[in-house]
Amino acid sequence: MSGGDIAAIFQGAIVTVTLSFIGILIGLPIGLGLALLRWANVPFAAKVVTLYVSILRATPLVTLLLLLFFALPNIGVPINPISAAILALVMNTSAFNCEVWRSALMNFPKDQYEAAQSVGMTAEQRFRRIVLPQIVRVSLPGLVNEMSLLIKVTPVLAVVGVVDITRAAVRIGAQTYEPLPPFLVAVALYAPIVFALVSLQRWIERRQVAAEAAA
Amino acid sequence: MAETSKVLDVAGVSKRFGDIEVLSDVSFQVDKGETICVLGPSGSGKSTLLRCINWLERPDAGQIYLNGERIGINNAGIVMGDRELSKIRTRIGMVFQHFALWPHLTVLQNLMEAPVQVQKRPKAEVYDEALALLAKVGLSDKRDAFPAKLSGGQKQRVGIARALAMRPDLLLFDEPTSALDPELVGEVLVVMRDLAREGMTMVIVTHEMAFARDAATRVLFLDRGRAVETGSPDRFFSNPETERARQFLQRYAGDTANNKR
Repeated sequence: MSGGDIAAIFQGAIVTVTLSFIGILIGLPIGLGLALLRWANVPFAAKVVTLYVSILRATPLVTLLLLLFFALPNIGVPINPISAAILALVMNTSAFNCEVWRSALMNFPKDQYEAAQSVGMTAEQRFRRIVLPQIVRVSLPGLVNEMSLLIKVTPVLAVVGVVDITRAAVRIGAQTYEPLPPFLVAVALYAPIVFALVSLQRWIERRQVAAEAAA
Repeated sequence: MAETSKVLDVAGVSKRFGDIEVLSDVSFQVDKGETICVLGPSGSGKSTLLRCINWLERPDAGQIYLNGERIGINNAGIVMGDRELSKIRTRIGMVFQHFALWPHLTVLQNLMEAPVQVQKRPKAEVYDEALALLAKVGLSDKRDAFPAKLSGGQKQRVGIARALAMRPDLLLFDEPTSALDPELVGEVLVVMRDLAREGMTMVIVTHEMAFARDAATRVLFLDRGRAVETGSPDRFFSNPETERARQFLQRYAGDTANNKR
C-alpha cells in the first residue's frame, strides 16, 4: 500500500466526515421541528409527521438512497450522488431525531411550562428560554447515539458512487490484492471520528455539572 | 366597569371537563389589599377556579376582570391570542403547589428571567430588586444555588419571590404548602402572612385552616363547584351559615386534633 493509497483513504475520511456533519447539522433541527409539530398536536401536520417518521424508520437507508437516486430523475428531478446521499441521510436521521426530541418534550413537566405562561412569557419565549435548554440536555445522549450511528452507516452511500472511507479501502484492496492494510486503516479512522463526537458530548455534560457544583 | 379598588371581579364562571361540571356559576370580587382564602373539600374546584383566573384553564362561561380589564376576551369580543393573554398574565403572579421553579436556572436567574425577558426592564434594576426579594424571603445566601439544592420550603419561598419580581397586581396561590413536609410549612406561611400585612392582593387556595382564620380578610367556601359561602373568617369558622361548611369544618377539626402540627 503506497502513500498515495493512504492519502486516498484520508480523502474518503473527509467525505465521510463532511457528509455526516451536513446530515447531522440539517437533520437535527428538522427532527426538532417535526417533534414540535407532534408535541403541539398541530392539526393535520402532526398526523403527517407521524406517518413520515413511521415510514422513514421502517425504510433501510440503502433502499431509500437508491429510491431517491434512481427515481427522482424519472419524475424530472435530476440529482447527483452527493445530493442524493445528503438527502437520504437527512431524511433518515431526522426521523430518528424526531423521536428523541419528542420523548424529551413529552416528559417536560407541565407546571414548569405553566409557570412560564403565568409570568407572561409568549409561546416563543417559553420554548426558547425554558423548554429548549432543558430538552437539549435530556436529549443529548440519545442524539449523540443517533449521530454516531449515522457516521457508521455512511459506507452505504457507496451504492450511488460516493467514495467514503470504506469505499476507498475496498478500491485499494482490489488494486493491490492486499485487503488487510487498507481495511485496518479504515477501521482505525472511524474510531477517532466517533470518539471526537462522544468527547464533545462528555465535555458539554461536564460543563453543566461543573456549573451546578460551583453554585 | 368596576370601581378602582376592585382588583379582581369573577362573574358567573363555569367550567366543565367532559361530563363533570367542575365550576358552576362562581362569582366573587377581591378588593385591593385583600387576602381571600378559598377553602373546600378536594375536588370542589378550588384549583380550577384559580387556573381560570389567569386563563391557564379556559372558562366555558362567565367573565373575569382584572382592574376592570377583561381577561381572556379582548375588546373585539374574541378570545385573546397568546400575545394578548401573555401581556395580561404579567400582572397576575402565580405560586404553584409543586413550586415549578425552572431547574436549569439559579435562584437569582429564576427571579430575573421574566422581568428582564418579558417586561424588558433594565437588568441592573431587576437585579437589585431580586436581591431585595430574596432577602425578604430569607434566602439571600441561596441566590446562586440551583433549585435542586433547596428544601421544599426554600423552593416555595423562591416561587413566591419569583412571582413578586413581576410586581403583580394580584397573586394567586395554588395550595402553596400542600407538597411540603409539615415542619417546612411554617416558613412559607410566614412569608405569606407578611405579604398579607403589607397589603398584597392575594387569592389563596389552601387547606391551612389556622392560616385562613388569622390571615384572610375573607373566606370563600367552594363545594362541588359552587361558591357556597363567603364572609369574614371569624364568622365562617365560628358560625358557618351552611350545613356543608359546618361538615367541612368539623372534619378538619377532627383531623387537626388527631395529628397536631
